[in-house]
Amino acid sequence: MRLLLCLSALLALVAVTSAHAADISVEQYGYPLSNPFEATIATTPEAFRAELPSDDDIDQADYSLRLRPEREFILPENFWAVKKLTYRLAKQPGPAPLMFIISGTGGSYSAGKTESLKRLFYGAGYHVVQLSSPTSFDFIAAASRYATPGYSPGDAKDLYRVMQAVRAQHHELPVTEFNLVGYSLGALNAAFVSKLDETRQSFNFKRVLMINPPVNLYTSISNLDKLVQTQVDAIDSTTTFYEVILEKLTRYYRQQGTINLDEAMLFDFQQSALRLTDEQMAMLIGSVFRFSAADIAFTSDLINRRGLIVPPKYPIDEGTSLEPFFRRALLCDFDCYITEQLIPMWRAQQDGGSMAQLVQEVSLYALEDYMHNSSKIGVMHNADDIILGAGDLGFLRRTFGDRMKLYPRGGHCGNLTYRVNAQDMLEFFRG
Amino acid sequence: MAKRLMLAAMLMMSSMAHAQTEPADQDGFTHPLSDLQFNPGLDQREFERATFNALNIYDPWESLNRRMYYFNYRLDQFVMLPAVRGYRLVTPKIVRTGVSNFFDNLGEIPTLFNSVAQLKGERAMTTTARLLFNTIIGIGGIWDPATRMGLPRYNEDFGQTLGFYGVPHGPYLILPALGPSNLRDATGQVVDFGVERQVDYFNYAEASGGEFGLTALRLIDIRHTTPLRYGQLNSPFEYEKVRYVYTRARELQIEE
Repeated sequence: MRLLLCLSALLALVAVTSAHAADISVEQYGYPLSNPFEATIATTPEAFRAELPSDDDIDQADYSLRLRPEREFILPENFWAVKKLTYRLAKQPGPAPLMFIISGTGGSYSAGKTESLKRLFYGAGYHVVQLSSPTSFDFIAAASRYATPGYSPGDAKDLYRVMQAVRAQHHELPVTEFNLVGYSLGALNAAFVSKLDETRQSFNFKRVLMINPPVNLYTSISNLDKLVQTQVDAIDSTTTFYEVILEKLTRYYRQQGTINLDEAMLFDFQQSALRLTDEQMAMLIGSVFRFSAADIAFTSDLINRRGLIVPPKYPIDEGTSLEPFFRRALLCDFDCYITEQLIPMWRAQQDGGSMAQLVQEVSLYALEDYMHNSSKIGVMHNADDIILGAGDLGFLRRTFGDRMKLYPRGGHCGNLTYRVNAQDMLEFFRG
Repeated sequence: MAKRLMLAAMLMMSSMAHAQTEPADQDGFTHPLSDLQFNPGLDQREFERATFNALNIYDPWESLNRRMYYFNYRLDQFVMLPAVRGYRLVTPKIVRTGVSNFFDNLGEIPTLFNSVAQLKGERAMTTTARLLFNTIIGIGGIWDPATRMGLPRYNEDFGQTLGFYGVPHGPYLILPALGPSNLRDATGQVVDFGVERQVDYFNYAEASGGEFGLTALRLIDIRHTTPLRYGQLNSPFEYEKVRYVYTRARELQIEE
């Protein structure tokens, strides 16, 4: 009996090590930032980035689509800029494969990470279409049917309609095949879009890549909501968290003489004595996501006239101060948005349903069989991604097998432009 | 012996914790949030407090400012940006850089004046040297050899000088075409403009007085070198966010 136990323990050990044998070790990988919060904020230092074409070498322009004409009347006049959905298209001179890029939470089509991915794929010979996230201000206003993002199957339908409209607007563009990539929440969206495409077949994507997706959407938003609850010291009634950070930056600035507020500066700054603690960095990341949550809560409430933030008949024109609504929206984190806006709408549409059921439907769990059996979908993730919870990587391993690449470092999307990642992405679409 | 080993092991463990290569679990996940110190009740309101505080910027003319903000947004979309696109289409990169350098060189004059006014000797000297090198070796400022010689470009305007002597920023103000400002900085801009006119370097003032093209080129160059776009923040609260960033950035510029 004892022998059996020992043997099984040994077997388990072997199984575990062999499962990890395919993973890249820290030394092999060579990504310089070991701290996941630093990686998330500062991304990849210049010297470690892949070489990408500059704007001058890219033939690109912004276009807009009129997808929801009724918003003309629903939205106040000062929202004129988001009554049409803008996207960016970079064209190759001749026939080429096309890459759709879906941005992450709250990100617009011109977000920094989307731009980097565009450069990478354009440099490799793809036509590239950059799309805003279904959770971004412009997308909710101009393209979202229910203007209440977060229900992944619904967001996928909205995205699909946008992608079809893009294709129709450029029907003369010679496209050899379609591909799809998304990062962060955009990666989750990409999986749902790919599933939808299996039945609608407008694109028949050749390959679909998910970069740092949330697995359980509720785990991810809980993690993000929690980040603003870290204990940050040196705050009292006379100084706030932002002031503390700015004060540190100013002092660093005085020491250095000159300053360039870019990623390289942040990297050097973190090497100095004034460096931010993990708690402060977590709070910064959490704050950025809270601003996204506020935008979503406000826009969704305004369009649907729910009256949670803006009174339904409140007159708004170009001179109206939105600050009182901003203050109200800032009090609403992702959890608040889901409880107050997403769940009630979803329940009304589906004739009831529990929170657990919603989480199941909007997370990657809903696509487990599809992703397991579809060889065109792949995933890249980081071992220290802050949006994941226990068991999430295990789920991905089981579902994707050798179509999953796990990097030992990078935080949340911090290694997108790292040479190794860039190579792996191109390789995935080549294969 | 055992004690020493224990100590060594503990030291190793603590150094490992410092290196932040946390041990991965069975799935290879490192649980990055597990080492953070959280507020025990998870009821800290610091994000809300700090953000509300940042929203408190004196803006008595908000309604007018907002209208001007949207006016500028449209002007940018339908006039300035198309002009910049045309400019980029018809001129090679080297010409555009030359044009930017030329106007930057003209801008050294207010910087010099304001560095002196703030008794910043080193900055004034650097700026004088830049002005001389770039005008003579750089042929009227078309090239910028001074930066290559290690003379950094500073930017000092009269708004900063006023701030340096303790003048408060006054009400927030959106200027037509020029964008975010405040009463102090707008006054400063008028003074700087006057200084440039008075000095009349290269007869530029006289030339641009009669020649609308030169002023237009300068405006296009400013827009060409400013990477910001309206709508870039992609938020319904862009006005508030820009207001905070502008005000704080100016305070930092004055402090340096």
